[in-house]
Amino acid sequence: MRLLLVEDHVPLADELIAGLQRQGYAVDWLADGRDAVYQGSSEPYDLIILDLGLPGVPGLEVLAQWRAGGLSTPVLILTARDSWAERIEGLKAGADDYLTKPFHPEELHLRVQSLLRRSKGQANQPTLKAAGLHLDEGRQCVIRDGSEIQLTAAEFRLLRYFMLHPEQILSKTHLAEHLYDGETERDSNVLEVHVNHLRRKLGKAVIETRRGQGYLFGGQAS
Amino acid sequence: MVIVGLVLAQTSLWLFEVGLQRYLEAGLRNDSESLLVALVRGPQGLQLDERHLSPAYQRPFSGHYFRIDFADSHWRSRSLWDQDLPLLEHPGLHSNLQLGPDGQQLLVLRSDYRRLGQSISISVAQDYTPVRESFQRMRQIGLGLGLAGLLLILILQRLTVRRALKPLERAREQIAQLQQGQRSQLDDQVPVELEPLVAQINHLLAHTEDSLKRSRNALGNLGHALKTPLAVLLSLASSQKLDAHPELRRILKEQLEQVQQRLNRELNRARLSGDALPGALFDCDTELPGLLATLNMIHGEHLALSYVAPPGLQLPWDREDLLELLGNLLDNACKWADAEVRLSVIERTDGYALGVEDDGPGIPEEQRTQVFSRGTRLDEQTDGHGLGLGIVRDIVEAWGGLLVLGESEWGGLKVVIELPKR
Repeated sequence: MRLLLVEDHVPLADELIAGLQRQGYAVDWLADGRDAVYQGSSEPYDLIILDLGLPGVPGLEVLAQWRAGGLSTPVLILTARDSWAERIEGLKAGADDYLTKPFHPEELHLRVQSLLRRSKGQANQPTLKAAGLHLDEGRQCVIRDGSEIQLTAAEFRLLRYFMLHPEQILSKTHLAEHLYDGETERDSNVLEVHVNHLRRKLGKAVIETRRGQGYLFGGQAS
Repeated sequence: MVIVGLVLAQTSLWLFEVGLQRYLEAGLRNDSESLLVALVRGPQGLQLDERHLSPAYQRPFSGHYFRIDFADSHWRSRSLWDQDLPLLEHPGLHSNLQLGPDGQQLLVLRSDYRRLGQSISISVAQDYTPVRESFQRMRQIGLGLGLAGLLLILILQRLTVRRALKPLERAREQIAQLQQGQRSQLDDQVPVELEPLVAQINHLLAHTEDSLKRSRNALGNLGHALKTPLAVLLSLASSQKLDAHPELRRILKEQLEQVQQRLNRELNRARLSGDALPGALFDCDTELPGLLATLNMIHGEHLALSYVAPPGLQLPWDREDLLELLGNLLDNACKWADAEVRLSVIERTDGYALGVEDDGPGIPEEQRTQVFSRGTRLDEQTDGHGLGLGIVRDIVEAWGGLLVLGESEWGGLKVVIELPKR
């Protein structure tokens, strides 16, 4: 899962990035509204966290421009302005959720989680379910038939992405784009290694390789 | 005006009377001179030549009389009949009319002459009554006309004043509408005299609205400025670096939460515009769908949110305040609801009733008072079952309304807010 964080307050951005990375998200950070307008619509983000009080272009304006340009990525608004009138304005501009400052980091993580599930058409449940697996995002482990299987951070990230996109063919490039932020060097071999690790832990059939196309998760397992 | 009119009328009457008397005096002097001419030396001394006398002196009570005084005797005109015309003390005109025969009022002129070696004093009198009567009649007519004129002027004046003040009355009505939020500016199509006043009031309104907007913005900025660092601190408090110091983390979190609550509450309270801001009505049909959609977004699509309001209903309170009130109430209801939340707006003769109900667990009757208990200190109120409700209470109090907790037909909580009309 790759997120874009647009926040001009550096200490808060640092905190949020650290927290989100612990949750297994790849995070890109921008502080200026003008950059956000461009990068938000050119990179394939899974979710955008947008502060409203931005230099350059105000947050609501950024959001309106994204939506006008046909961007459908879910956007979570982060703002100190918490009146209902402003929330409604945010919604009208095309936001998917609204979190007011100050907030607990856990609250933000929960909102991000549920927003991602919602945008991928998954019901709002405590754990992510796909192909007979339950993913506990809080503890970063997977449960199959009642038994718990521990995962490394990289495996967790990969499995979460697969589980949010079951029965879809995902190319290596696509996976790399969504699992790493813009600064990390993308190496498709590393990805293969992680896929192999997952197969070893969860069974070969869970992830199918489609030659020349990519991977397919949960194709016949369920 | 009445006094001036009376003085003027009296003065002109008096002048007219004096003029008339002077005119009559000339006539009397003529008469007395012709009497003097008629005095001739006869066989027994002086005698009156009857032929020279005016017939009016012969007819009794004709209104014209004379009396001629000699040193030792006096003659009277035949017209005096049995009455006596008293001799005046001084020569000249006497207008302080003496009562003559037949109750007539007389104007008497005494003139002294010397003729044929004797001093003669001739008094001539003329009846003044007819003149006086017509004078009185004129005075009455004048008075009547004056009164009628006065009445007419008063009526006209009243009409004029009322007409002139009509725009002022219209302006008053508009100010009343302003207070009820039915308009945001006064109509500037007024007479020239009122234009500066209306312009000034409009200016004041714009100024108030402007400064209110500015202070709201300033508050928002302050909030923003404080809340972002607060978010950083909250995040730090739950970071792994503090894992080794659970006690420190607990205190830090507690205190930060208090700061946050206090900040939220005070910001909201200060933002309440109360009665100061005119204009900006709350239009149910345009605002409510947006509000419900926002709530659905926050709480998920599984909740069925609905509202019941008379079509086209406008509530006379500030849009943002009312959104804040309903938003917090509905938000609270959504937190507790299983599947349904309903907002109902009812217009009554003396006010409005806003009802918010859910199908959640509700609150047992004996605990309801605690939710809104008055005088609870801020730090004792928690963010759980309906805070946000503290803000609701502030708003309702500012509007002089009433908040009642009851039970919904679905078994959940029903909050009814009764607001008086303004």
